[in-house]
Amino acid sequence: MSIVLKAEGIIKKFREVYALKNINFELREGEIHGIVGANGSGKSTFLNILFGDAVINSSGGFKGNVYIEGNLVNINNSKAAIKAGIGMVHQEFALINDMDVASNVKLTRENIYTPTAILSEEFSYVDKRNNYFQTEKIMDELGIEVDINTKVNNLPVGLKQFVEIARELDKQNLKVLMLDEPTASLNKEASKALINVLKKISEKGTSIIFISHRLDEVIELCDKVSVFRDGEIVSSYKKEEFNIEKISTDMIGQSVVKVDKKKNTIKSKEKVLSFNNVFVKDGHRVYKDISLDIYKGEILGITSLAGHGQSIFSYGIMGLYEMDGDVIYKDEKLNLKNTQSIIKKGIVMLPEDRKELGLLLQDSIEDNIIFTACHSKNKFVNKHIFKSLAFLDKKKIAICAEKYVTEFNIKCSSKRQLVKELSGGNQQKVCMARALATEPEVLFIGEPTRGIDVYSKELILKMLVDINDVNETTIVVASSEVEELKRVCDRIVVMYEGKIFDIFSPEEDDEVLSMAISGKRREVNREN
Amino acid sequence: MVLYLLVLFICLIYLGLDCITIINESLVKMVMNGVFVLALIPMINTGIGMNFGLPIGISAGLIGMLLAIQFRLTGFLGFMTAVIVGSLVAIIFGYIYALLINRLKGNEEIVGIFAGLSFIPIMNIFYSGAPFTNRQMLYPVGSKGLRPKINLENYFKGILDNFMIINIGKVRIPFGMLLFYAMICLAIYLLFKSKLGVGMKAVAQNENFAKLSGIDINKTRTISVIVSMVIAAIGICVYSESYGFVQLYDGPLSVAFPTISAILIGGATRKKATVLNAIIGTYLFQTTFLISVPVANEFLIPQLSEITRMIVTNGILLYAFLYEGKNNSESL
Repeated sequence: MSIVLKAEGIIKKFREVYALKNINFELREGEIHGIVGANGSGKSTFLNILFGDAVINSSGGFKGNVYIEGNLVNINNSKAAIKAGIGMVHQEFALINDMDVASNVKLTRENIYTPTAILSEEFSYVDKRNNYFQTEKIMDELGIEVDINTKVNNLPVGLKQFVEIARELDKQNLKVLMLDEPTASLNKEASKALINVLKKISEKGTSIIFISHRLDEVIELCDKVSVFRDGEIVSSYKKEEFNIEKISTDMIGQSVVKVDKKKNTIKSKEKVLSFNNVFVKDGHRVYKDISLDIYKGEILGITSLAGHGQSIFSYGIMGLYEMDGDVIYKDEKLNLKNTQSIIKKGIVMLPEDRKELGLLLQDSIEDNIIFTACHSKNKFVNKHIFKSLAFLDKKKIAICAEKYVTEFNIKCSSKRQLVKELSGGNQQKVCMARALATEPEVLFIGEPTRGIDVYSKELILKMLVDINDVNETTIVVASSEVEELKRVCDRIVVMYEGKIFDIFSPEEDDEVLSMAISGKRREVNREN
Repeated sequence: MVLYLLVLFICLIYLGLDCITIINESLVKMVMNGVFVLALIPMINTGIGMNFGLPIGISAGLIGMLLAIQFRLTGFLGFMTAVIVGSLVAIIFGYIYALLINRLKGNEEIVGIFAGLSFIPIMNIFYSGAPFTNRQMLYPVGSKGLRPKINLENYFKGILDNFMIINIGKVRIPFGMLLFYAMICLAIYLLFKSKLGVGMKAVAQNENFAKLSGIDINKTRTISVIVSMVIAAIGICVYSESYGFVQLYDGPLSVAFPTISAILIGGATRKKATVLNAIIGTYLFQTTFLISVPVANEFLIPQLSEITRMIVTNGILLYAFLYEGKNNSESL
């Protein structure tokens, strides 16, 4: 197999900080090359360089050479990269929501009727039928069933990812396909389908670079894995030498201790929050007749496939989705129209979409930590005749922020550093500190470990268990990581098609849980 | 902008015009227009954007002044009555305007322009039909309906301008007026240091985050609109006492654009503005006008100064929006 892509001595600095120090990288034809590493290890920067991302150029370019099939290429913008045969599937989708699948796939490469002398190529009529035909062919090759006439925003997340891949594959000269955490937003099923598709693609001779936090996927899929740490490739493994523990040790430079909650067998049966036949509406998705009791002091896990309703409770109670019905908190009916009153009563939610909903990115760590406590419970303020005109108590704030920064080991230059400059794991810690500062009774948290590296993941999970242990906070975790839920939760709720499918104990078999997630019961075995 | 101002100053000295008068006047001008500029800050920092609905708050201030004149209140009493009554009316107007704006989130600026434009005719009907009886404010002929320009000579003209004047050589510092201005500045500064103000900034940055932290978004926005309208009402009182006339009918329409230009010159963006932005912006903007008129008159045909004025005002608005758009497109 010949070498398709070769990167030599890549060095990239952001201001004075080295993001990449002397990277040497080779990719062979038809090879699937996995790149793993902790957050901030330089994986994404490396891909951005290869794809000529604008961020790289505007921050001073990079040093080093990139060869494609032995020829030195100068990649200084995405156009050049595409011309050289590099395609990229972004972590955030780059699709046009209001166009149908076929138009998205064929965008800028549309089939056209022969241009006339007057109307040049730009103005000639688009041959839609041929577009559809070709898109269908690609989708068939990938083995994906999708109606190519639907608009992209009506597709589930998993399928959107495939539309992106189809678009890249449609490029005639595609030699290298790069995927930046394609499975981060996908559930297990869709990830599996994606992996199969990628295998098929590589068999046809296209090389793939694959970034993921999920090591088991990397190991299943890749022919070769390179481990990034602090902007360097610290080790490379071939398929025969794969070893999860070794790889994860290389990523962090130390070994990971997995959290395991000691299961409390004696649990109070005191209900703290119960949903009785509630109705939830999220856009055009409607969930009806849902009932769930949450007991005091437990960690409750909720899991489902995307779009099957794992987050309806938290989003509903906070008024982000429309919710109606009886929600009883400590023998008192909640007024679901009044979000402030609910937060005041001690129910706090950390949404899964951290950057969009969970943080004030432009503000400092300190401001973020105290924000919710200050506004919902009137903490950290001086006395004043009008409560809302009171000034903030700087001393108390400083003490509190200092406490959380040291307690949670938030890596930052100072507590006045802006949150947007922190890494994903540290941002999540800030979120947790923000929730804790309010001393919540019930904490809803969505996807606590999404987009976080292996090491920080365990820290976050440990924090959850500790909070539950020390403060006796009731925690409701909505997550698609069943393996993590099994380790920390007391009960696991599985949702399917907008209904509660069943409630399991964390000791339940993996198999039973994963079947339940896709809506199947192991009835036969039970009868036996 | 600063450069332009310097060039104008040099021209001024070159032409031998009276610098001191200009400086004296520039201070008065700053306060005269500066209060309007301050009125923009609360709404910008709550993420509602520029308050193009400024004429509504101004109309409230006008009603306050009309009442003061109707009851023949003169001097400080008259001025303070105008300010207080104006503020009360502004609270009502602000509340109604906020209801409108909270329904049309995301388009506040456009809505503001049209709300301002359509509110003025309503006020015009009020002016021409309201049962005021003071002869000095009615049309001399027919004695029905208010006249477009009411002279404040006998009421509270220059009440702030001439309050606590400090003379240093020829330079005449209107200390009382500056003090009044400084008090409003301080009030706004403190507002944004308070819990409410911090909440407002958070609403501007991330509405859903603020909601999840227990902030009532619509209430916060309503308060911010009301504060803005009240300051605008005070602004027109200050403006009128300095100008010497109360301008009714279409007068308020001409205020919004120059005001917004001024705060943009001061370095504010559509999401963030400080008191300092407002002060610097007003001073630069007003002084430029002040100087460009005599200079343009001296060099060019007299009408040109008015044209320059229009170009500067609207050009800066355009530039500010372009500048922001450029930043956005670069980040993509």
